[in-house]
Amino acid sequence: MNATRRDVLSLAAAGLTALAAGMTGFLPVRPARAANETQLAIALFTKGALPLEGGVRIEAPEIADNGGAVPVQVSAEGARRIALFADGNPSPGVVVFTFGKWVKTAASTRIRLAGSQKLIAVAEMADGTFRTTSRAIKVTAGGC
Amino acid sequence: MQKPRPRVKLPKSVSKGVPFTVRTRITHPMHTGLRHGRDGKPIPRRIINRFVVRYNGEEAISVDLERAVSADPYFSFEMAVQESGDIEFEWVDDDGSVYRLGRRVEVKS
Repeated sequence: MNATRRDVLSLAAAGLTALAAGMTGFLPVRPARAANETQLAIALFTKGALPLEGGVRIEAPEIADNGGAVPVQVSAEGARRIALFADGNPSPGVVVFTFGKWVKTAASTRIRLAGSQKLIAVAEMADGTFRTTSRAIKVTAGGC
Repeated sequence: MQKPRPRVKLPKSVSKGVPFTVRTRITHPMHTGLRHGRDGKPIPRRIINRFVVRYNGEEAISVDLERAVSADPYFSFEMAVQESGDIEFEWVDDDGSVYRLGRRVEVKS
């Protein structure tokens, strides 16, 4: 995973273009720079599928004093993978958890947030569908 | 950079099928590549980009990390096992280095 921002963006653009082309071609193909980077990152994770609201949880403080280490827990019962995105960071990707045997489908970590923003979690469920939720966090001292 | 030091915390013995918490941490600066050093030159990106936990050789959890994960990456999760086994932790650095740690988990009957 040594992808640079440029790599990810161009890949996302290619993915969206392919997706739009697949939709019988009546959708206009937008240039990548016009689209929201976080939406692209999420579309890359879901391979274009639209996630349903709910079924995932983000636990984090409402106000974080130190943007350099904000404790976050994500959980979704019956998930295969959970991805976390930070909408207001220089790049949206944070982590992707893949759950195997033995573990509860929940995990905690500490992340960097550049400022007050929205966190978005997207879970890939065992049946291949996607669920999502978001949570606003206030950050008093950014840490990127 | 100092050599990253991995650390894990979990019970040595557990009850069959009863969930227990595993906490992991590794010392690592997680350079984003966005910052500049005192000399004004950019500090190149260097992060732990992958973390894997295996139990008796089977993957329990894996994490793909981006640069938004804090320095000294910390992860915790819960697991429950049916039989005693070896738990292995593996961190992969951008420079290709792999840091490993292993523990034994005994299931009390």
